[in-house]
Amino acid sequence: MKFECIVNGKTRVIDSPPMRRLLDILRQDLGLMGAKEGCGEGECGACAVLLDGRLVNSCMVPAFQLPGRRVETIEALARDGKPDVLQQAFMDSGAVQCGFCTPGMVMAARALLAHNPSPTREEIRAGIAGNLCRCTGYESIVDAVETAAEKGYSPGVDAERCGRIDFSVTDEEARSVFLPQTLEEALAVMSKHAGEITPVAGGTDLMVDIEKKGHPSPEIVLDINGIDELRRIRLSGNWLEIGAGVTFAEIARDRNVLEIAPMLAGCASQVGAPAIQNRATIGGNIATASAAADSPPALMALGARLLLASEAGLREISIGDFFSGYRTTALQAGELISFIRIPLAAKHYVQLFRKVGLRRALAISRISIACAAEVQGGKVTVCRLYAGSMSPSPLFLEKASELVVGKTLTDELARESGKLAEEAVSPRTSPEYRKETTGKLVARFFRDILKGSA
Amino acid sequence: MLARPGTGGGVTVEGSLQCPYYVARALAHALKLPLEMVVLRQTETGGAFGGKEDYPSVIAVQTALLALKSGRPVRFILERREDMEVTTKRHPSIIHHRTGVTRDGEIVAAEIDILFDGGAFSTMSPVVLSRGVLHAWSAYRFPNARVRGRALATNTAPNGAFRGFGAPQTIFAMERQMDLIARRLGISPVEIRRRNLLRAGDTLPCGQQLRSAHAELVLDRALALSDYEEKHEKVRGDERVLRGVGLSLFMHGGGFTGAGEENIAGRAAVEAADDGLVDILVSSTEMGQGAATVLPQIAAEVLALPVDRVRHPNPDTSRVPDSGPTVASRTTMMVGKILLDAAADMRERLTVFICEKTGVNPESVTWRDGRLYSGDKELGIFEELAALYKRERGKPLKGEASYDPPTECKWNENEYKGDAYKDYAWACDVVEVEIDSDTLELRTPRVTSVVEIGRAIHPMLAEGQVAGGTLQALGWGAMEDVKMERGRYRNNSVSTYIIPTAVDAPGFNIEIAEAPSPYGPWGAKGLGELPMDGGAPALAAAVDDALGVFATELPLTSDRLHALLRREKRGGE
Repeated sequence: MKFECIVNGKTRVIDSPPMRRLLDILRQDLGLMGAKEGCGEGECGACAVLLDGRLVNSCMVPAFQLPGRRVETIEALARDGKPDVLQQAFMDSGAVQCGFCTPGMVMAARALLAHNPSPTREEIRAGIAGNLCRCTGYESIVDAVETAAEKGYSPGVDAERCGRIDFSVTDEEARSVFLPQTLEEALAVMSKHAGEITPVAGGTDLMVDIEKKGHPSPEIVLDINGIDELRRIRLSGNWLEIGAGVTFAEIARDRNVLEIAPMLAGCASQVGAPAIQNRATIGGNIATASAAADSPPALMALGARLLLASEAGLREISIGDFFSGYRTTALQAGELISFIRIPLAAKHYVQLFRKVGLRRALAISRISIACAAEVQGGKVTVCRLYAGSMSPSPLFLEKASELVVGKTLTDELARESGKLAEEAVSPRTSPEYRKETTGKLVARFFRDILKGSA
Repeated sequence: MLARPGTGGGVTVEGSLQCPYYVARALAHALKLPLEMVVLRQTETGGAFGGKEDYPSVIAVQTALLALKSGRPVRFILERREDMEVTTKRHPSIIHHRTGVTRDGEIVAAEIDILFDGGAFSTMSPVVLSRGVLHAWSAYRFPNARVRGRALATNTAPNGAFRGFGAPQTIFAMERQMDLIARRLGISPVEIRRRNLLRAGDTLPCGQQLRSAHAELVLDRALALSDYEEKHEKVRGDERVLRGVGLSLFMHGGGFTGAGEENIAGRAAVEAADDGLVDILVSSTEMGQGAATVLPQIAAEVLALPVDRVRHPNPDTSRVPDSGPTVASRTTMMVGKILLDAAADMRERLTVFICEKTGVNPESVTWRDGRLYSGDKELGIFEELAALYKRERGKPLKGEASYDPPTECKWNENEYKGDAYKDYAWACDVVEVEIDSDTLELRTPRVTSVVEIGRAIHPMLAEGQVAGGTLQALGWGAMEDVKMERGRYRNNSVSTYIIPTAVDAPGFNIEIAEAPSPYGPWGAKGLGELPMDGGAPALAAAVDDALGVFATELPLTSDRLHALLRREKRGGE
């Protein structure tokens, strides 16, 4: 397919097969070698660039989602061969050793400072958490970013798409590449190609499956990212309604989410790392239905409901009924997840989402708990506890939840509920550690409520 | 790796590698070519840490063979997962310690048995074992010692060089043993070390008498900088977060073991280029550690030139002499010294040349700010005089030198006795740990590291080595869990082999101490691998302080901590 996008401020015409990676387009077609392939699965950040002003891993962006988009690479920073303030800070701080993580690292720092011009050292670390460096120990990199911030470095990065999404396709591609601009358009396509079409939003699961797990590249694809209706968050009646195409980064900073469903915002900010959060969508996370998916336990604890749309209309289903087994959902051919609804009543719940992985960022979840409880006058009136990553779909901790309902919270009750939670989960690997930890986290949830620190 | 067949049956190979001459000789041997017909060019190398010491030869031979057979250029790129599955890794180890110690905590005798898993083929195992054995006592004095080392063949991918090269393994064991002795005797981990640390004049079990030792220096500085005494064995934190602090004391020999440097007989050269710059001709490769900065600094200092007038081109074996491989923490210390001599040789040649032309007395000549002077009189600008030299002599101005072995260092390979290393760098790490009492997730908010390295030629780059190497040690200690099944690596991707991200990394407090060594340029000693040796045992000691469990196995994952706590609760040890 042939299309235009803006790369480093210049309009470029790209001619590429639809599923080709942005990383390859940059390096092979445009001669922009700064972005590097460190892993090809979104886990190292060496390929990071800005897409519409946000940090993404270019190894996971397929060509067909690029028409009309703005891409900024490391090559955009220097002027007439002179390094910009951020690049100079990296050099002056000794933040470059072998240099291979550096282009992605600088772009991550640039993205951070564009949106947060005075970060703390902790915030800097979080901003570059998705960029692995084996050489420096990160200390000098944090110093460099801090120095650039002190010098007032906060680049304007254009987050608006340039709008012109025209593209031309071969006859074959016309049958297999769809970039709908409305939900109605999308559903018509979904219906026509029911059962053989792959909707693609962030691509953070799909691209890894194709590149690394030998899954075949999808024959027919539909871009979710152009459907504005699916990208908004709003209050509607008794619900907080989140479009399926909303990214985790957007969820993590949305005022309504923070007020009504803070555990979902917390969950979103624990997904992967910034570049992944900027692409991964809540709809994609739900649809992939990985056992270790982060949002399903949180959504279940919140009592969320899904709106599944098709040409035939809308179908509402509870999130609990949506998952029917290992990577299996109730989604039917021709259907798209359109909206996720969270009851406004959730804002009365004390909420917690906690994920435990093998490190503090870029971690697959090994244990997760999602807890929502309503406490009135010391008595628990509502309690929904879910455990994730230890079963094909999130497990409702029924006994642990029901034990506390109608009772006054005490330390002993917290401990007992934790014990029931420990007994309820049965992970296949590291069972003692994961069971015991699940129980402790549940008990901790209640103890924090008692202490008033929840 | 990229191989191009040459006219006349030779081959040129370019690649990401640490040791151009290792690869060149491997190609000559495998393809039955004279060495002159094999040209190796190192390309930009993104980190190596030992992983590109021997494996590139394997890839290069395959690539070159295909290029020669087909008559066409051939490029060979391993996919990330393939790379992780087959290239060489650190030798896993099992080490037994038995120590005889007085009630006052003075070590009298030590028996150490070292087993290294070499994988299917021997490759680097003999040398890794050698270094591991010669660091088995780390920073401590043993009046009587028996150290046995064996490398075993197993049905896994061959193991090879990885930063530290056997020393991190044996030093981990030694440090844990010191902590165990301290525990058993009721002496503090600091005291047990102070009583037994090596001092100048002490003799190592291999027979080397230390001309200098700086263990106490780094220990005292690290304790002061980190406030260790304020933090150790104090109940801090709350029932949610358990805090602890631990320390390690260690050293690392710079350069090849024993007579290794003599065997390499490294050569270096500097050459004035037509563009007025000076090229450094060594086989040392830049891989992020800063050779392309530090080596020019050394030559520039001798030639009184600004650093940016001296260049370290990527080594090309058709142009550079063999200064030895870029390994063993030898580049600044050993190659830098040969290079210093080569630059001095260039300086003398140009001085003699100018004096012959002008009749000036060589004793009166000084080099300052890129110019030569006789007294106050300027004789000329370096570039112009070098160009004049070339015009008149018909060849470029060049300085050459080869390794000048110190005669006082002696090593007997058959008896395995003598001066194991020309000199040692010393360090003390203090690691602070916070452990979540519910999940046993561990984080290291702060690490203090004091290193004594003779002379920091480039202090910022030196600090970078300490931070980077220490974080690698912490990753090895806390999260880099290698899982194997039937001899194959199960975690063969970046998402399943877990290394630290920026949020997992500590804030570093680094101090460099300098006690110049006679064996390196301006006293510089090896540094690259030293930081890998201490992080893991200091972390284990910190975990002990926080949780009261004595760990003997790495990595200290939450699962492992959980198992240790349960064993502790059941009263076992």
